[in-house]
Amino acid sequence: MKNYLKLVNFEISRFFKLYLILIGLTFVCQFIRAIIVSKGYMNRADQVMYENQLSVSQYIKEYGTFSFQQFVFSEWFVMPIFFCIAMLMIYVFFIWYRDWFGKNTFIYRLLMLPTERINIYFAKLTAIMLLVLGLIALQILSISIEIQIASSIVPVDFRTHFPFFDEIYNLGIWGWLYPNTFIEFILIYGVGLIFVAVLFTAILFERSYGLKGIFFSIIYGLLSFGFFIVPLVLNGIYSNYFYTLEIFLMELVTSTIVLGSAIWIANYLLKHKIRV
Amino acid sequence: MTVKFNNRDPVYVQVIRHFKEQIAKGFFEPGQEVPSRRELANQLKINPNTAQRAYKEMEEQGLIFTEGNMPSCITRDEAVLKSVREELIIEAVDLFLGSIKSIDVPLSEVLKLVEKKYEAESGETEESK
Amino acid sequence: MIEVKNVNKKYGRKQVLKDLSFTAKKGEITCLIGINGVGKTTIMKAIMALTPINGGEILIDGEKIRKDSFEKITFIPDTITMLPQMKIGEAFTFMADFYKSWNPQRAEELLQFFKLDPTERIANLSKGNTAKVNMLLGLALDVDYLLMDEPFSGIDMFSREQIAEVFTSHLIEERGVILTTHEISDIEHLIDKAVLIDNGEVLKEFSVEEVREREGKSVVDVMREVYRG
Repeated sequence: MKNYLKLVNFEISRFFKLYLILIGLTFVCQFIRAIIVSKGYMNRADQVMYENQLSVSQYIKEYGTFSFQQFVFSEWFVMPIFFCIAMLMIYVFFIWYRDWFGKNTFIYRLLMLPTERINIYFAKLTAIMLLVLGLIALQILSISIEIQIASSIVPVDFRTHFPFFDEIYNLGIWGWLYPNTFIEFILIYGVGLIFVAVLFTAILFERSYGLKGIFFSIIYGLLSFGFFIVPLVLNGIYSNYFYTLEIFLMELVTSTIVLGSAIWIANYLLKHKIRV
Repeated sequence: MTVKFNNRDPVYVQVIRHFKEQIAKGFFEPGQEVPSRRELANQLKINPNTAQRAYKEMEEQGLIFTEGNMPSCITRDEAVLKSVREELIIEAVDLFLGSIKSIDVPLSEVLKLVEKKYEAESGETEESK
Repeated sequence: MIEVKNVNKKYGRKQVLKDLSFTAKKGEITCLIGINGVGKTTIMKAIMALTPINGGEILIDGEKIRKDSFEKITFIPDTITMLPQMKIGEAFTFMADFYKSWNPQRAEELLQFFKLDPTERIANLSKGNTAKVNMLLGLALDVDYLLMDEPFSGIDMFSREQIAEVFTSHLIEERGVILTTHEISDIEHLIDKAVLIDNGEVLKEFSVEEVREREGKSVVDVMREVYRG
């Protein structure tokens, strides 16, 4: 257990610098956009009001208020988020491959540590999850700061009341990243966890068997996916036959099997088949 | 101590030989403490197991002795020291005879040459002192 | 004792190790000799479970390798086993963190002996110094068995002498050492046992001093005989 924690700490510190840069970039992009969009609205508003000699309330009746939605759906805002997601996806692979390639043969050391090798797998998995959750949490922080920025530029009369959770966090992709209930949170991030776990095991197939391994990992990936969606497919075929709860329970069982087998296979590969 | 070892004779035998030479030449005094097995290995750049073997043999041959838990020492036994000297001298003589046997020359002439050479060399060493 | 018993390994179509057996005792220096590509590194990796085998078994003190074994046996490969961005001191901290058998005083002693600076980054070290750090990471562990892959390769004369110095010191004493090399003449007088390997097979396994005594042959002589016939 202690070794697992030490490894988690180690994995996180390795990525930390890049992580901070990622966060920094995201914040900066989003803040700049916040400023630009808010200012843009105000400048247009001022201009139109000046040209047409409108009062504030008249302008608002004609042209509408400034709502936060305008900017949540803009590319500049969403792009850094997708960039972060892309980076993390790449890191899911990189977190393993970096220890094999380049001037780095750290994998020797990891595999020779006096600890169960599966702890390496768990540590990397945990690190990824923590990094993702970290980004999610920081995004909330970022949005509140942006709201402050926008509020300072756009006077209160021009704004629709900036709500917090309901409006922002239920729109499109945000609904997925910030689920409303605890259960949903577990479900969505649970699926994410299983996805990464399966990916990790696929990577270990490649590292253990080489080219043959890629073939194995594709088969393994497809099997896992297939198994995972069985309840959903069943529900589709026999619609209205199963209660939601039953589907949920079936899904729980299949997910557990998929996750369990990912871990079991990874453990086997790490102990008996891995090559440096 | 840098000793050059050849790779064909057992190293432990060469170590013993080296000790005998040092004793005969007087560099190792009777009763002098010998280095520990580990120190010897390090000094001569040999495997500690070899040093161990050499010491064991030398102990058996009576070249060194160990009293209780004290470090081992070169023997004080005059008889042993004498025989070591003799052994080396005989070896040198055998080597010499082996070389000149093939040359057809009477013994008395050879011996005269040896005496002459010997005196010349000790004379040189006397002068250089 | 490390026992390698009838080990087979295939890599793709090629039979890399063929029914390979030998033993290495604790307190002895065993040298695996053979030209490059013959399987020496593979054997070492197999002992450390860093590569799988297809048959046979490898026992360390009578047991198959487990996680605790890594406190008893360590491997010094020919590549660095630390992150290149780490400073030497940070590498020490890492080792101390994970290994009960890490000996900080010994590490300090070796640091001074090899004349290394703990604030230097591993990536910035010369080849010789990197090899020394690698060796240090292995030697500073209080393990019973040390596996070293080509500890002398590619480093300059003086560094080599320092490493040879290590072999005759208390740092190696009482441990079981397996090392591989293809230049045996330099270190013939240091080893206890030689295992001649060719094409994944053991051609001859012998005690070096015994052969010298019985047959008056050096290891190089035996090699000439064995590899020719």
